[in-house]
Amino acid sequence: MRKSLFFLLSTLLLVGQVVAQNRSVTGTVTSSEDGSAIIGATVVVKGTSNGTVTNMKGEYTIQVPENATVLVVRFVGMKDQEIKIGTGVKHNVVLFPDVTKLTETVITANAIRRDKSSLGYSAPTLKNDELTKGQSSSALNALAGKVAGVNISTSANAPGSSSRIVLRGGSSIGGNNQALMVVDGVPIDNSSIIGGGDSRSTVDFGNRGNDINPEDIESITVLKGPAAAALYGSRASNGALVITTKSGKKVSDNKKNEVTFTSAVTFSNVAKLPELQNDYGQGYDGVTNDPRENWSWGPKFDGKVQPWGQSINGVRREKPYSAAKDNIKNFFETGKAINNNLSLSGAGEKTTYYLSLNSLNSNGVMPGDYDKYNKYGIRFNGTAQLSNKFYTSVAVNYNKINSNLIQGGQGPGSVFNNVLQTARDIPIDKLGNMNDPYNSYGNTVDANGNPTYGFYGVYTTSPYYILKNFHNMNDVDRVSGNFTLGYKPLEWLDVLERLGADVYSDRRRYMYPKFDILPADDVPANDPKKWYDQVDNRVIQLGKYEEDQYNLSEITHDLMITAKKDFTPDFKTSLMVGNNIRQRVFNTLETQTNDANGLVIPGWYNLDNSNGPVKTFNEHTIRRLVALYADLNISYKNMLYLGATARNDWSSTLPQGNNSFFYPSVNGAFVFTELTKNTGLSHILNYGKVRASWAQVGNDANPYLLRTYFGKTDLSSGFGSLTFPFNSIPGFTYGNLIGNAALKPEITTAFEIGTELSFLDNRLSVDFSYYRNKSKDQILNVPIPPSSGFTAKVLNTGVVENKGIELSLRGMPIRTASGFSLELFGTYTRNKNTVLEITSGVDQVVVGGFGGMSIVAAKGRPYGTFYAQDLLRDAAGHVIVNANTGLPSLTPTAVYLGSYNPKYQASWGTTASYKGFSFNLLFDTKQGNQFYSRTKDITDFNGTAFETAEGGRTDVPFANSVVDDGTGKLVPNTNLTYSKQVYFSAHIPAGQHVIDASYIRLREASLSYRLPRQLLNRTPFGDLTVGLFGNNLALWTAKTNKFADPEVNSGGAGNEQGFDFTAQPSLRNYGFNVRVTF
Amino acid sequence: MTKQSIIKSAVGILTVLSLTITGCKDFLDVNNNPNKAASAEPKLLLPSAQTAIALVLGNDFQIYGGIWSQYWTQNFGNSQYKSIEQYVLQGSSFDRPWQTLYADAMEDLQLIINQKGVAKYRQYAAISMLLKAYDLQLLTDAFGDIPLKDAVGGESGNLSPKYDSQKEVYDSIFSIIDQAKAMIDPASEFVPGSEDLMFAGDMDQWTKFANTLKLRAYLRLSEVDAAKAQAGITALQDADFLTDDAKITYISTGGNQNPLYAELVALGQYRQLRASRTLVSQMTALNDPRITAYFQLSGGVIKSMPQGSYDTNPNGASTPVPAMGADPLTPTSALAPVKFMSSYESYFLQAEAVARGWMTGDATTLYQKGITASFTAYNAVPGTYITTQVAAFPATKAAQIGAIITQKYFAMACNQGFEAWTEWRRTGYPTFFVTPVVSSLPAGTFPARFLYPNTELTRNPNFPGAKLITDKVWWDVN
Repeated sequence: MRKSLFFLLSTLLLVGQVVAQNRSVTGTVTSSEDGSAIIGATVVVKGTSNGTVTNMKGEYTIQVPENATVLVVRFVGMKDQEIKIGTGVKHNVVLFPDVTKLTETVITANAIRRDKSSLGYSAPTLKNDELTKGQSSSALNALAGKVAGVNISTSANAPGSSSRIVLRGGSSIGGNNQALMVVDGVPIDNSSIIGGGDSRSTVDFGNRGNDINPEDIESITVLKGPAAAALYGSRASNGALVITTKSGKKVSDNKKNEVTFTSAVTFSNVAKLPELQNDYGQGYDGVTNDPRENWSWGPKFDGKVQPWGQSINGVRREKPYSAAKDNIKNFFETGKAINNNLSLSGAGEKTTYYLSLNSLNSNGVMPGDYDKYNKYGIRFNGTAQLSNKFYTSVAVNYNKINSNLIQGGQGPGSVFNNVLQTARDIPIDKLGNMNDPYNSYGNTVDANGNPTYGFYGVYTTSPYYILKNFHNMNDVDRVSGNFTLGYKPLEWLDVLERLGADVYSDRRRYMYPKFDILPADDVPANDPKKWYDQVDNRVIQLGKYEEDQYNLSEITHDLMITAKKDFTPDFKTSLMVGNNIRQRVFNTLETQTNDANGLVIPGWYNLDNSNGPVKTFNEHTIRRLVALYADLNISYKNMLYLGATARNDWSSTLPQGNNSFFYPSVNGAFVFTELTKNTGLSHILNYGKVRASWAQVGNDANPYLLRTYFGKTDLSSGFGSLTFPFNSIPGFTYGNLIGNAALKPEITTAFEIGTELSFLDNRLSVDFSYYRNKSKDQILNVPIPPSSGFTAKVLNTGVVENKGIELSLRGMPIRTASGFSLELFGTYTRNKNTVLEITSGVDQVVVGGFGGMSIVAAKGRPYGTFYAQDLLRDAAGHVIVNANTGLPSLTPTAVYLGSYNPKYQASWGTTASYKGFSFNLLFDTKQGNQFYSRTKDITDFNGTAFETAEGGRTDVPFANSVVDDGTGKLVPNTNLTYSKQVYFSAHIPAGQHVIDASYIRLREASLSYRLPRQLLNRTPFGDLTVGLFGNNLALWTAKTNKFADPEVNSGGAGNEQGFDFTAQPSLRNYGFNVRVTF
Repeated sequence: MTKQSIIKSAVGILTVLSLTITGCKDFLDVNNNPNKAASAEPKLLLPSAQTAIALVLGNDFQIYGGIWSQYWTQNFGNSQYKSIEQYVLQGSSFDRPWQTLYADAMEDLQLIINQKGVAKYRQYAAISMLLKAYDLQLLTDAFGDIPLKDAVGGESGNLSPKYDSQKEVYDSIFSIIDQAKAMIDPASEFVPGSEDLMFAGDMDQWTKFANTLKLRAYLRLSEVDAAKAQAGITALQDADFLTDDAKITYISTGGNQNPLYAELVALGQYRQLRASRTLVSQMTALNDPRITAYFQLSGGVIKSMPQGSYDTNPNGASTPVPAMGADPLTPTSALAPVKFMSSYESYFLQAEAVARGWMTGDATTLYQKGITASFTAYNAVPGTYITTQVAAFPATKAAQIGAIITQKYFAMACNQGFEAWTEWRRTGYPTFFVTPVVSSLPAGTFPARFLYPNTELTRNPNFPGAKLITDKVWWDVN
């Protein structure tokens, strides 16, 4: 549309300009974006008014004077292109989009479209093509490395797996720290409820924010600070992702529907596995070769053929005693996913529509087709201009997800844990045929009819058995959307009503088998080689069926009245007042068979099969909020801009009578290049803006925090539990959380300054921000000493500060008339997060971890600091060993060990285009953060980690250690040795598993080719693009991290980050894709 | 639309908005929690508090006490309790038991005690005070100085309790027991029923419990303040002491099982805890018939492992019998009781009091009754064991105390581990503990306390400072 309009204008302007000509030059003008012809581009002889415009095929013909050497080709939204004409007659020209898009508009809070120049805050926007280049199935992961100030944790990077998005650091000690997600003006739910009990046995069912189909997204604007997001109120203190979905476009001939089909086939492999030793095999104490062991603390490999595993019919299997080097790697298969999208869009004179259908079918990297994730989606977006004064739009999205995912963490249901606990010589990758008696697991029986197992290991479960028999199923049905009705009675007045809803049912079913199986071993009981004691090596699981149901219903209403007045052509104002009403209802119903006694009948998964009382948990929460807000904008001469917002909230979760709170924001921008635009400076600095903003955002509490309650007694002893009724006697206990009837709202204050600069005709652009956010009076369940009779009290307390800088650079060093361009961009983000205060006397709040290792918010330290016992060192850093055992001594208490927050993040990317080819690379890095790795812990324990065999296994003094000489003096330890097996399997403190999480990653790479139009002329296709892509393709980690991708996480998308509790390994994805339009 | 009509509609809209706001009050009145109860009666709180104490006593304290008393030791091939064997501990290991004893048990007990002025609740309050005294003794014996006066005051604003000396805690235990005894009224029409999981409202039993607890507490001071102990015990002359176990019995229903059994089942049903050679060799040497009442045969015999030899000793040592709750493979282990105080403990306490000359009576008989009660409790046939032992009951006071505590050690084997270890700390008996193979402490050095929990270290500005596991508590002066 814009092309034909401009064509008309250009033609009108240029008509009648006839100058004496000498020769004719012709050519075609095409776009570098898609190679399509540009209609209506002006072609002018440089330095003259002599020009023409391109026709409907993008062709031009111009008469030029003999002395003319340069033509200038211009088109709106594109960079001017100069071509030297020499003596040639035909000159084809490729125009490049104007990268900085100075005329760009940005969708801001409440789906209000604004001129980007007018914003007093940073609001970077990514378009669909930038999001989908790497073909990530997660729109959030697709943001990684592309925007400064955004910290995405991509976890497993698998379809449906969790992604966490934090803008400018976490500011809430106990609450949510993720950005608010808003789709077409309506906030959507981004809950992350970990499956599988807790983060030590996680099934990652993902976060609901990942439900959105990246192909449906037109753009995402990142409102990083409270200033930008203040209109969203309470939930915007962490910033917001403003997602705009696609709408129908009026295509050139105005009648045809545009049909687009995209398809991507993705293959996946595990990105990083621990580095393992290949010198020592099954057994323990360096001598004993125990055939049932998963430990790799046995003798050194000698390559000699020897028996292993169980004796069946008097025979044990035999194999050379040597490392099965790739046993873990080969256990995994190549995952496959097919992602298909079909969209139809079009427009009538007063209507537009966009309809899309999406399916994503994935079979993950676990052997067999047990790990499956299927997602289906339908979206309909329509708009209509009902009359001159009314307009309306409706958007509906439906998603259906069904999946069966694999549990991580510890315990008998974790495949990865059981695979990692494999001795180095055991070919675990070849034990998948359970019909082979040596691999059997409960599917063979002994002479008495008891089920047996022939699997070699008695301390681990066959991972193939787990895959086949442990199910973690998820069914999600979600409908979200909105309806708007606008009324524009006058040019300056606009009344808009918008009603949004987000409703879903998230149903999870866990089926864990009940079994009681004996080793198949038939060596007589009195034989000295009898390893498989029938009682001691009996393997038992009680089984479980659990069904959990999570239901959300969230309704949001906004009424916005906007008035605009231009006092003079240079002085413009607009004022919007609005009302917001929000209700969120969340229901939880968790039920499971008796957790101490499990199932009655094996293989039947129903609550009726509970051996003892069914365990239930049900919770109904409702919260409501009413708000009034106003937004004032003033502009002067496209140069000075001032914006201010004010909002007052009334919340149901705060004490009645004291539940109203007000908060303002103000922002300003000064486009100083408006003062120099006609001077010589404008050739060097062609655009420059400084901006500043200040904002406050209030936040209310979670429901039901105003008083202390009684609950049914359900005590845990760590793993076991005691639950009432006890022998049919009821029991209740006073809650451990002291409520607070005097709660007030928490307040975040944010300040930001920044600049946007463009140099050399937009060939280089810079965006820089400095910000400082402070969040105080946080509504926090402050941990209190249990000797007080309680474990926490709800208080308004705690101060967290984030300050940092963000820098984005973008440049196009090469741009030739032949159509080759090279674009480079980079980002740098440094955020310093400090928990300034919790409450008097309280040092820390635990946000994750387990008994021996906590992830905490601790006073004076960054949010998310690791806290664990570590090796005891002297002042010079030498490890102090125990004078009795030679083993390192441990710190008497836990110590602080660094944070999961990176000291800085950066990214670097490039796009090279030539004709229809486009090549894209994106690297990103996080540096200076830590993570806890149980992958390290368990491979250390198992004697398989590379470091357990470094320097051999003979007892030596601990490296660089000192010891008390008996008088209290520390002297170098030269003779006290320690046992590596004892150290790594039983002594090493959790602090030693907190390791450097720094990485550099090849986040995305893609190569695409758009077929030239002329090739498609005789096909039904309007457009055809084929491509190769990859994401998470290569990973370079810190030297000390030989264990796992530091982005994997067992805590889902919540505040428990940097927690690899044998989390699912992350995936490297690659494949090919095609995109056609009809 | 004319200008006027616009103004009219604007006014209309604002009216709607203001109505919205004024209607807000009811619209926003949705913060009443439908998921929890606002009140609960003492009869609902009492069983909860009792099971909370038993959960700690029967699981965490039983494991530490059982291993440190060298009754049992970590099995080969399992790894749950290695650090306990190594004497390498973390404060965080004690977070949960500390929290359960204070925030679950003592807080609920205090809510009941607060209603002692109401006749209907007075017997509940008396029981609750005795349980609070018991709870305090468990805590102080394990940790030394603990919050007492400021404890469980969170809701009245005391979020950082100060610590009181163990001496004060003991003084308070005696005083609470006395107050409770004065409130006990077996004739009350408001005695508890089956919700009293220990004595089903038998207030005479609670009087015996009070006396026995007091005797036990005074004897704990025998080394640090003999005069006080003597005075307190002398005053107990002719008091009724327990002749039955003060215990909670469990059932097989999931969630109502012996806590140690439930824990071991949830840990994967491995027989983590096996017979320690320290105990087994002594019992074997004395031909103690209880050995097969305490441990299961392994390959037809009682097999044991040297203490802390889990890395090197794969030959399946014996597992405790189901009656101890420590065998996750035998479902009847779920029924094992948790003993707050046992009948045999009661006799051994009296025997010691008499042997010390602080009560009158026949020490030999009481000593013999103690051993007999132990045999009876586990259906063991004593044969000549008792007569042999009694014949060997020594003549001197010191030796008698040694014999009594050592026999108490055998009687408490695998069922009152924490108390046995505590009495070893007080008296030094038994004398045959060995340094575990994997000990991180110098040979002959053993733990003398638990570590303060991490939750106090990081949350309580009045926390007095961490202790080492070798730092003795106040009454431990030998």
